[in-house]
Amino acid sequence: MFRRLLDRLEEFTIGALLAISTLVIFLAVVHRYLAGFAIPYLQDWLLGFHFGWAQEFAMICAVWMAKFGAAYGVRTGIHVGVDLLVMRLHGGARRACITLGLLCGLLFCGLLVWYGVRLVWENGAAYAWYTGLGRDPGPYFEGPLTADLEWPSWMVYLAIPLGSALMGWRFLEVLLGYWRDGTLPQHRVAHVKGLDEGEGVPPSVEQGASR
Amino acid sequence: MSAAILFGMLFVLMLVGMPIGVALGLTVITYMAFWTPVPLESVALKMFTGIEKFELLAIPFFILAGTFLTSGGVARRMIRFANSMVGHVTGGLGMTAVLACALFAAVSGSSPATVLAIGSILIPAMLKQGYSRRFAIGTVASAGGLGILIPPSIVMVMYAVTTNTSIGALFMAGVLPGLVLVLMLGAITYWQARKHGFAREAKVSWRERWQALREAFWGLLLIVIVMGGIYAGIFTATEAAAMSAVYAAVIALFVYRDMTWRDVPRVLVDSANMSSMLFFIIASASLFSFILTSEQIPQMLAQAIIDLGLGPIGFLLVVNVLLLLAGNLMEPSSIILILAPILFPVAVALGIDPIHFGVIMTVNMEIGMITPPVGLNLFVASGITGAGLGETSRAVIPWLLTMLVFLVLVTYWPTLSLALPQALGMM
Amino acid sequence: AEPILLKFSHVVAEDTPKGKGALKFKELAEKYTEGKVKVEVYPNSTLYKDKEELDALQMGAVQMLAPSLAKFGPLGVRQFEVFDLPYIFEGYEDLHKVTYGPVGKKLFAELEPKGIKGLAYWDNGFKVFSANRPLRKPEDFKGLKMRIQSSKVLEAQMRALGAIPQVMAFSEVYQALQTGVVDGTENPPSNLYTQKMHEVQKYVTLSDHGYLGYAVIVNKRFWDGLPDEVRAALEKAMEEATVYANDIAAEENAKAIEAVKAAGTSEIITLSAEEKLALKKALVPVHEQMSGRIGRSVIEEVYQATGFDPKSLR
Ligand code: NA
Ligand code: NA
Repeated sequence: MFRRLLDRLEEFTIGALLAISTLVIFLAVVHRYLAGFAIPYLQDWLLGFHFGWAQEFAMICAVWMAKFGAAYGVRTGIHVGVDLLVMRLHGGARRACITLGLLCGLLFCGLLVWYGVRLVWENGAAYAWYTGLGRDPGPYFEGPLTADLEWPSWMVYLAIPLGSALMGWRFLEVLLGYWRDGTLPQHRVAHVKGLDEGEGVPPSVEQGASR
Repeated sequence: MSAAILFGMLFVLMLVGMPIGVALGLTVITYMAFWTPVPLESVALKMFTGIEKFELLAIPFFILAGTFLTSGGVARRMIRFANSMVGHVTGGLGMTAVLACALFAAVSGSSPATVLAIGSILIPAMLKQGYSRRFAIGTVASAGGLGILIPPSIVMVMYAVTTNTSIGALFMAGVLPGLVLVLMLGAITYWQARKHGFAREAKVSWRERWQALREAFWGLLLIVIVMGGIYAGIFTATEAAAMSAVYAAVIALFVYRDMTWRDVPRVLVDSANMSSMLFFIIASASLFSFILTSEQIPQMLAQAIIDLGLGPIGFLLVVNVLLLLAGNLMEPSSIILILAPILFPVAVALGIDPIHFGVIMTVNMEIGMITPPVGLNLFVASGITGAGLGETSRAVIPWLLTMLVFLVLVTYWPTLSLALPQALGMM
Repeated sequence: AEPILLKFSHVVAEDTPKGKGALKFKELAEKYTEGKVKVEVYPNSTLYKDKEELDALQMGAVQMLAPSLAKFGPLGVRQFEVFDLPYIFEGYEDLHKVTYGPVGKKLFAELEPKGIKGLAYWDNGFKVFSANRPLRKPEDFKGLKMRIQSSKVLEAQMRALGAIPQVMAFSEVYQALQTGVVDGTENPPSNLYTQKMHEVQKYVTLSDHGYLGYAVIVNKRFWDGLPDEVRAALEKAMEEATVYANDIAAEENAKAIEAVKAAGTSEIITLSAEEKLALKKALVPVHEQMSGRIGRSVIEEVYQATGFDPKSLR
């Protein structure tokens, strides 16, 4: 139950972030283009909208998408390495290699969570926490803001520890799955929805052949 | 010494098959922890800021556009149009494949995606018509490489961002070489088909061609929108990516209606997945190139290469050999991200134009995608056909040799790349 | 003993005034400390990019930076945005009263709670407008897409003229101007010339409407931890490097204007006294508009230091 909820949430998040980021840039471009025309009233109306935040917002969406998408990628087996040597190995050696690879993935994510938390903490989260509780922030600085939206950077940087934690969790799942039944998630490169369901050959190609 | 540790560790970690992003990241963290005073929080920072660059957004946007185009029936209509134009030439469907790949390349930024979009329709069709499996694989896997040479191109975006050159100018620089490669691939396909006596399609009337063109029109219009929009100054290359994603969605959902709203989440999630995988590598690679810079390794290597006294011609020869070797083992984005920061300064110091150098690197990447053991186009082609990697690799040999000739042409004839962006005043 | 390593990272090329200033500082610092300090200069964002260098400095990953003054706003020290205000300095004389004087010192003091110590202000220069149409009057800006670097003040400045501000990466600006994605931009002349923007802009207006400058800053913990005599030697080196950097900046800007003239690809517009006044009248209200952000007191202090009175424009 929890797993399925997490899976759906992960998919929803990355899909939505990609869609939002695309639409924001699309709107900003359309706005800029139209506002350049000296059409009375319309131009003044359009000049009233500010899209100065669009690039930064789209970028933050994309980075968050990338951090959680990387976790999704572990689940779907899209992160591949140079597996020539591993493919040639058999039995225990192969098992050891693959286990090592997954453990390293887990380790890397763990380190990113650790250093990510420290980055967030030292970059303003600590200050916000202590001053929020009405206490002296001690050696901690008030953190920077993002340039255009002026959001606290530490909130934006949260993508690192959160995304890495999820990615580490996915590595762990894959590792346990591999130990249990020896299978790994495989990303199917040659699978596109809509193609293998529709007619495989364009009609005209078939027509051309029948003549 | 530090270079030996860094590259040695990266090599070992990659050899045991772990994802490239993980190998890069762990190498850097280990090195930093033991050999530098740089605080490790900057690792986390770099994993964020390494991808926090507006120009990089072109990557997910172009991937999204490509996925919409593939699922939305645009590829199919392009194939039909290409077939009506060149299907009657010797090697019929092979010629169709080359032209269709070129057309799709002009709207898609990725080579494997081009192989997939065109190959998953045309390869089965070719097999049905009695073309050999090798011929089918060879044409599509090689012509799919056009995906990154003919703009838009994800690999070019990565090069431009890594080296701070203009994406738009680089895109334009890919156009003429792309057309030349189309001709060369067409020629080798013709020759191969003739040699093996493959059939051709019946000639199609101009009315039917017109009909096919009209059907493919909305897809082909995207070529005009992307390149025209950049050239006419309506948007930048990055923004063009967002425009084409929205346009592709509109075409798929409202014009061709080959997909429904219910398919949209799948398209978004698949595109996000592919983009995130690339972003993970980009972030780790930026970490790696940060530690290289911090240890002054690119400067040392660059000096060492300059001290060899190769001159531009010799240097480019070495670069091509190096990139082709790397292309055997790694996929394009990692190569660009790891090697461009090292090779680029040397190229500039030797007076090689940054845009021309970008085209050279791109063509190398294209070739790398059809060389075993790591060749993305080969993987896709073998996924479609079920042929093993060995057969797939042998199948592409004639086309591979053609592309090597093309590489020499691109490397030592800068005008081919630079004429168009210069004529357009972009550099 | 091992020399103390000081990494100085910046985001521009080595042959710019800032780049040359950094190299000068390296030379002087290593000389005056008799090799006790080794300075490594990383130009061109090779080590840290614009967006991350301040974070890196605060965590001690790099010791010295020279970010543009507009970067301190996002750090939470918005008083520095006073430097971005249009027409707040009449010229270098006004400016140096602030940057060499007590107001500059006071502003630097605001950085210390952030773990940053300010050492010197380095000039880039006063900005000119460029576009494909002649820009003389405020009305000429209406509906023009003007490229700016990320800054709330510059955004307000462009809006005050009726233009559409567009944030854009430096690497894309030339081409965006060439194709017309944006219509114009603002730059100190030396940046305009080295980025070849005059090739793709028909008109350059010598408006001197705003200032672009940098602050050389160090990690406070690093700085306070230095032996006294080393710190004194570095301060001396910085003082001389500052004079050197500011001299070449002024020189390069003058040269750049001549070079743009000589290139003949764009017409240089010198504003008449009335035209400049009209532009000022349109832009100075931005001071008031931004005073809530920047802080009224720092704006007043700058007025006092320079003797500028916005009421005189009414
Ligand atoms: Na392409
Ligand atoms: Na390869």
